[in-house]
Amino acid sequence: MKTPLFLTASLLVSTAQADTPQQVLEGLVAQAGSASTMRGEHLFRGKFSGGKSAASCTECHGGDARTAGQHIKTHKRIEPMAPVVNRERFTDPAKVQKWFRRNCPEVLGRACTPQEMADFTAYMVSIK
Amino acid sequence: MGINWKSLLTLALGVTGAAMWIAQAPANDETAFAMPSAKTYVNECGSCHTAYAPGMLPARSWHQMMNGLANHFGEDAELDEPDHFAILKELETLAADGTYVTMRMRRINGLIPPGSTPPRITETGFFKYLHDEVPAHFWRRKSIGSPANCGACHPRASEGRYAEREIRIPPQ
Repeated sequence: MKTPLFLTASLLVSTAQADTPQQVLEGLVAQAGSASTMRGEHLFRGKFSGGKSAASCTECHGGDARTAGQHIKTHKRIEPMAPVVNRERFTDPAKVQKWFRRNCPEVLGRACTPQEMADFTAYMVSIK
Repeated sequence: MGINWKSLLTLALGVTGAAMWIAQAPANDETAFAMPSAKTYVNECGSCHTAYAPGMLPARSWHQMMNGLANHFGEDAELDEPDHFAILKELETLAADGTYVTMRMRRINGLIPPGSTPPRITETGFFKYLHDEVPAHFWRRKSIGSPANCGACHPRASEGRYAEREIRIPPQ
């Protein structure tokens, strides 16, 4: 009787628990080797050419990642990106990968490197 | 017949029955559009723009849109294959000429010429007819920005709700 109960409980725990931003960051750092919050901030604020729709992340996400942004084309509100104010951010590795895959070409005109993804995430997680 | 437990029970059952019937009855709110049940729709489509109600365009428009996601109004919005087909199926079912059609959807579809495939809801006759009294400078307000931003004035747009009494036009 005890084993099935234990199994059910552990199953519930494993499905209910999302990763913490720190865990997601660790996963990206494992790929890149290191991470720098300074390089991450530079990536977030930097102006780039060659992107398909924006010259900087901040055009849509705003200069302060703790406040909401607005999509430059559709004008839809974009929830804040910093996990310190938005607990949903950086808790699902697949979602994080998806948005790098979508948005890096929009701003940089190319995919982000594992190093850039680790740096960017480190910066976001570091915001207090 | 005086008041006894039988009459009280009958009354209680009657009231309960009536309450259940009222709760079950359709809201008859034609401003509510059916929305895809899968969270995928709101998560995938509703991140960059309002999760538009499928009933606002005919199935052929959604079909064309889903076929061109690699260049979706200038952006790459390609989906994984399972998500792609799940969303396409819901869009077609709930489209203005789909399986569950309300009077309002009939009017939307009726104002779209049969030979045309509008790529944008804002290009449809019914949208224009309902928004013709909105001054152009309203759309330019910072928090609205464009007619594509339904949620700016219709707070429950992503639930398919556009009732006139819920409209809140932001002052700036």
